[in-house]
Amino acid sequence: MKFWGVRFGSIAAAVLGALLLQGVAGHFGDFIVHLVVLAGLYVTLAVSLNLINGITGQFSIGHAAFYQVGAYSAGYLATRFHPKFHGPETIWLVIVMAAGALGACIAGLIVGLPSLRLKGDYLAIVTLGFGEIIRIVVQNQDALGASYGFTVAPRIQIVSVVWLLAILCIAVCRNLLKSAHGLTFLAVREDEVASSAMGVNVTRTKVTAFIIGSAFAGAAGALYAHAQAFISPSLFTMDVSFIIVTMVVLGGTGSITGSAVAAVILFYLPEKMRDLSEIQNSKILGFSIGLILVIVFIRQMMEKYHGPKATKGWIITGGVVGGVVISYILAAILHAIPALQGVTEGSKLRMVVFAVTLIVLMLLRPQGIFAHHEFSLSWVAKLFGKKDVPRVEVSA
Amino acid sequence: MSLLQLDQATIRFGGLVAVNAVTFKLEKGDLFGLIGPNGAGKTTCFNIITGVYKPTSGEISFNGKVISGTPANKIANLGIARTFQNIRLFKSLSVLENVVVGGFLRHKTPLFSALSYLPSAIKETESLKAEAMELLKVVNLDHVANVRSADLSYGMQRRLEIARAMATQPKLLLLDEPAAGMNPMEKEELNVMVRKIRDEHGMTVLLIEHDMRFVMSLCERIVVLDHGEEIAHGPPAEIRNDPKVIAAYLGEAV
Repeated sequence: MKFWGVRFGSIAAAVLGALLLQGVAGHFGDFIVHLVVLAGLYVTLAVSLNLINGITGQFSIGHAAFYQVGAYSAGYLATRFHPKFHGPETIWLVIVMAAGALGACIAGLIVGLPSLRLKGDYLAIVTLGFGEIIRIVVQNQDALGASYGFTVAPRIQIVSVVWLLAILCIAVCRNLLKSAHGLTFLAVREDEVASSAMGVNVTRTKVTAFIIGSAFAGAAGALYAHAQAFISPSLFTMDVSFIIVTMVVLGGTGSITGSAVAAVILFYLPEKMRDLSEIQNSKILGFSIGLILVIVFIRQMMEKYHGPKATKGWIITGGVVGGVVISYILAAILHAIPALQGVTEGSKLRMVVFAVTLIVLMLLRPQGIFAHHEFSLSWVAKLFGKKDVPRVEVSA
Repeated sequence: MSLLQLDQATIRFGGLVAVNAVTFKLEKGDLFGLIGPNGAGKTTCFNIITGVYKPTSGEISFNGKVISGTPANKIANLGIARTFQNIRLFKSLSVLENVVVGGFLRHKTPLFSALSYLPSAIKETESLKAEAMELLKVVNLDHVANVRSADLSYGMQRRLEIARAMATQPKLLLLDEPAAGMNPMEKEELNVMVRKIRDEHGMTVLLIEHDMRFVMSLCERIVVLDHGEEIAHGPPAEIRNDPKVIAAYLGEAV
């Protein structure tokens, strides 16, 4: 009975957490609510793609297509049936989510069955191709609004529903990894020949991962359609697929926690940059040079310094502080040059900063923020210097 | 009825006939050796038995059922398990998890119960882990159960491959060069272990090996392949003195 106690306890905690988030976000007005909704959708997208890319090892880069299928399924349903629907909005969202998931599931099956016979680069190209095919087919259907898209009425955005979907997606992936079933998904990633020699149906495993991942993307798409109240093919271009892939890689391929955290960071960063005020050109140049110096310094330290970890941490911190100081000095000196005395509007640097952040992270931590780790209490304890359970010496 | 029967099994890759009309039988409880010089077609033979390749012609039957052309995972389910010459462990998984994957083909709970973490799935995972632990004891790897399999030494990785194959509870176990890269002491242990696998776990063993002393002391019957063809067949004492075998390994007298 303890099991069900924990189970219901965690479900209650998830619901309460989502409602709390909804309350807090609602306090800050409609714009923040919209951002929190979108962040939740990106978490769902990244974690569901991680199931395909990270856990099962099938490099798919067409995830936006399933997002789109979900959104269009929901949009179609809303246009035809919402006027006749008289229940609460939450119920309606659950209905469209189910429809979006189902639609994306079918699309996932159709795309997955033939393409998952391929591996690596070839699979990536084919999923990219299928993604574009789906988008372009929709773009040429007058019934679906062609390239203009169509309005999805009414506009519904409920933070708690969105985040409960994200939590469900995370929970499903985590449950999978905790069971023997999940080990076969990892086994397929590690070695297909050995997996099938152990009796694992490799094709079925890959297609299953693809379908589950697509279904969650579809459900997220359905919520997106209602949150935006408008959908068009231009919202589901390759860029979206690539951002989702970036989230997975940046978080640490295979790590559920990593995908979720990276999704929030990568979504939040460009949004936050919108409010930047004007910046002096000399400062931009000074800080760019400072950043390069700091990265070179840290990389050299990582390669060549083999002293105690704590000392290394202090030296690197010192290096970063030094870099900031150098940047300010450089900026002040450069300001003397007349050509650099102008200013640039901060929001124009949005995507530049985004790109630079990615490059810096990949240079300094190529395995991703979380690498293959997951968030857990023992991991936190280890992070704060507590000794892990003694590891067994490996020797033959 | 023989456990495994190869009848004129042949496979061609373009112009190369890798295995040519090989015919032999394995009875239940055999400790059978498959030997031959490099490139003789031994591993290819394993690959057509386990469904990695489909034989071009000829027939392979297992327990009276024709299995040539059946996919590899179905053959594993029928009761043939194997290890690989170029070790193919699930590198990032722990030693225990590798063996759990081997035992997974006996699972009963559907994927849905795993996704929703139902007690049935947890219980099954626990029992698979307990079984895997028992097998690790057989191959002396229980003390490294939670180590990443890629971090093991070469000899340990070979033993882990055996444990993983045994976890499928096969009737027939194919070992592809199990002693390669092992030192004499490890080989001695392996010899005892393979015998134990046959005697105590009731598995029939077919193995490929280059170490002649190892094969001759372990196997009760041996088939010799050369250039994809079967050149000799019999107990070790006969094979040792067979002029064709000597010629294949050492070259003919001029």
